[in-house]
Amino acid sequence: MARMERRMWDLLLILTAAPHSGDVVTSALRLSQAVLDRGGSVRVWACGYANMMTQDTFGDTKLPNTRDPEGHYPSPSAVVQRMIADGEGRFGWIACTACSEERGAVHHVPQVRHRSPLRLASTVAGARQTLYLGGA
Amino acid sequence: MSSTTTAAGRGSGPPVLCVLDRAYRGAVEAQFFHALYGLLDLHGQFQRVDVALRGAAVTLAVEEDVYRPAVRLGTMTLDTLPDYRGSVRDLVAEDFTVFVDREAVTALGFDPERLVAGTVLLDSAELALRWPEYEQVWFV
Repeated sequence: MARMERRMWDLLLILTAAPHSGDVVTSALRLSQAVLDRGGSVRVWACGYANMMTQDTFGDTKLPNTRDPEGHYPSPSAVVQRMIADGEGRFGWIACTACSEERGAVHHVPQVRHRSPLRLASTVAGARQTLYLGGA
Repeated sequence: MSSTTTAAGRGSGPPVLCVLDRAYRGAVEAQFFHALYGLLDLHGQFQRVDVALRGAAVTLAVEEDVYRPAVRLGTMTLDTLPDYRGSVRDLVAEDFTVFVDREAVTALGFDPERLVAGTVLLDSAELALRWPEYEQVWFV
């Protein structure tokens, strides 16, 4: 049987910044959307605390805003799920299994792929460009 | 320059000065849940809670009446990003004294006259002189 042709992604973003630390997560999502808007494909590799973004324990919304209890505030995992759905195959999110286990954050939403860091090099090889964002 | 140091809290906890130096700690993932929001919910737990914005955090109190932060991700437009100025207005409305470091405002190129109404512009040394008025100073 012939081997499956390896898919090439236009951009791989290795996101090493922790959520709630700065604007890097927002920048990564905006950059991803800009590539998607141009017809390209993007894959995010969540490294370290970026793996907290896609925990299924968030549910679809953030906790209630006591100042705006009727307001709708999507959770980080809902944002990522929406981008994956709307990307129609051109947006992907990878959880690092080692970083996830290290942080006890192993319950990712089902749309997220799980990869060992031993597959980092092959993931980089599967993208035309790779950007590291955030600093470890 | 004179300023009022109104009691913000009504609870039994000690008088606290909260010092913020770091400004941006997430947007899409944070939304309303940022440092100033957390301070609003301290209201009522302490006899008094005041806030000092220093460094880049002074920008949270720089008045801005046109810009509405929003970002489009997929088919979703997220317009619930942090509204820092709104939170500073809420703090002022709820009787927190919000000190803003004058040197940081001018060093960053902002007009000290364009701060959220009700905030108190202070020289750095003057802020330090007020520390003894509090039982605790927190670096948030």
